[in-house]
Amino acid sequence: MSTTWHVPEDDLRAYTAGELTAPRLWSADTHLAACADCRALLARLADPVALDAGWERLDAELDAPRRGFVESLMVRVGVADHTARLLTATPVLRRSWLAAVAAVLLMTVQATATVSPGRSPTLFLALAPLLPLAGVALSYGPVLDPTYEMGVVSPLHGFRLLLIRTVAVLTVGLGLNGLATLALPDYGLRALAWLLPALALTATGLALTPRLGPVVAPVLVGGAWIGLLLTADASGDGTLAPFTAAGQGVAGAVAALGAGLLYLVRDRFDTSTVRFTDFRQGGAG
Amino acid sequence: MTVTVSASGLTLRYGGTAALDEVTLRLTEGVTGLLGPNGAGKTTLLRVLATAVPPDRGAFSVLGHDPSTTAGRQNVRRALGYLPQNPGFHPDFTAFEFVDYVAILKEMTDRGARHREVRRILDAVDLSEVRGRRIKRLSGGMRQRVALAAALVGDPGFLVLDEPTVGLDPEQRMRFRELIAQAGEGRTVLLSTHQTEDVAMLCHRVIVMAQGRLRFEGTPAELTAQAAGRVWSSAERDPAARAGWRTGLGTFRNVGDPPEGADLLEPTLEDGYLLTLDDASAEVAA
Ligand SMILES: Nc1ncnc2c1ncn2[C@@H]1O[C@H](COP(=O)(O)OP(=O)(O)OP(=O)(O)O)[C@@H](O)[C@H]1O
Ligand SMILES: [Mg+2]
Repeated sequence: MSTTWHVPEDDLRAYTAGELTAPRLWSADTHLAACADCRALLARLADPVALDAGWERLDAELDAPRRGFVESLMVRVGVADHTARLLTATPVLRRSWLAAVAAVLLMTVQATATVSPGRSPTLFLALAPLLPLAGVALSYGPVLDPTYEMGVVSPLHGFRLLLIRTVAVLTVGLGLNGLATLALPDYGLRALAWLLPALALTATGLALTPRLGPVVAPVLVGGAWIGLLLTADASGDGTLAPFTAAGQGVAGAVAALGAGLLYLVRDRFDTSTVRFTDFRQGGAG
Repeated sequence: MTVTVSASGLTLRYGGTAALDEVTLRLTEGVTGLLGPNGAGKTTLLRVLATAVPPDRGAFSVLGHDPSTTAGRQNVRRALGYLPQNPGFHPDFTAFEFVDYVAILKEMTDRGARHREVRRILDAVDLSEVRGRRIKRLSGGMRQRVALAAALVGDPGFLVLDEPTVGLDPEQRMRFRELIAQAGEGRTVLLSTHQTEDVAMLCHRVIVMAQGRLRFEGTPAELTAQAAGRVWSSAERDPAARAGWRTGLGTFRNVGDPPEGADLLEPTLEDGYLLTLDDASAEVAA
């Protein structure tokens, strides 16, 4: 640290009295952490009680977790500080995961635009609902959460944590899907037909998790979706059944049913949804 | 001593194996040791008592709360600190961030108060120096202390520790014992371990499990007394002994049923433990 600048004595006095305001307070804090001379001077000027408070604040600033960009943004828009912190531990909200999802979407959009220009964005519509389902499934359960066992016995665990994570992952997932939709302007509103199926798959996948486990449930639901599309493709021509008006109605109804069922089984998320059988190194370990 | 945790008839099967078989026990304040060979069901018992998995049968209560109801389970969890056998971490978190994260899971929502508590706990486990370091860059022993800090944060009344001293060097192990002994003042601590010294040095009660069943429950002195008059020394390995090994003195230390006129030795807790297990398996074979 440069020795040419030191905290002015008046500032130090104000500092000891707790009256120094930002941004001078920040420069004083930063400088004091590095400059022994100023600390010595401060000690001479200070009333001991106020000084302790000052140190405590300095200490707190030094090792308090730094908020990352996304976390700061969340706090900025009104998400509670502790909720934002919980979300930073959600693996699929990390940059690497988001980048992967964005890449998949990008490729699909490109394929859709080149393979069947102007007809129907089928490929994109088929894939888009699977991404939020996968995101939500992966952010819950022991598959990706290394602290699963510690978390499952905490009072916050269970449905509340599930909802917090689900809402966050859905917001991000649907947001990315939405952006991808913008890249397909030719199709107009038709390109938004993924939304209700996405909600339906996610809600159903979660509602089945307590019964089938965190791996089988989403795989089954995702498989059913692909099966449905293949059947629809084989039996009809033109728009696939789920993306017709009637199909959208059914998707909406399934989403509502799934959400209702999820609410009914909410207590079952409270204990382990797996008996640690697919928990890494669990059991006999 | 008042009973803080009690369980009766706890049973849990994994396919054909009974990991827990009608386990009935009572815990009081202080550190209770849990000994048993690999696969005895120690981890399973701790997971059940920590409400991570429900038992197939049986009931238990923790500090007056009944974990079979949603509200009761919530109350048990509010009073619980749990160190799993293989604690996992978010490797990109710093020690501070990780303990802070667990504190949030324990419903500490006030940022200032929470950070003060995290700092206090990290000081208590001697990690204040490295609290800003990422967990992936900490040594195994330091990680173990981070996990202990996560269990201790929020001052829980019931501490469940699954082999916390594994993989620590002797000095660290001593330090851990001190920490656990401190934690045992005014709290109920259940400590699973393979180290009989842990039990001898720390515990006021000890439980021995084998094949999912309780084989012994009592004080460490009572466990040692299981081997009274059943340990002797000889120049060669005594074929009558259930177990025998050459000691540093060059003579053999035998445990089992000594022959007439044998040179009896003072038993240790380890002798008592070995004989308890041996008696238990002889009983199964009979
Ligand atoms: N998730 C699981 N799936 C199947 N079997 C399991 C599982 N967990 C434990 N078991 C079985 O239950 C029995 C008890 O296991 P547990 O992990 O409780 O033993 P332990 O006493 O903790 O052993 P160790 O000293 O090796 O940690 C063992 O036979 C084990 O194979
Ligand atoms: Mg174990």
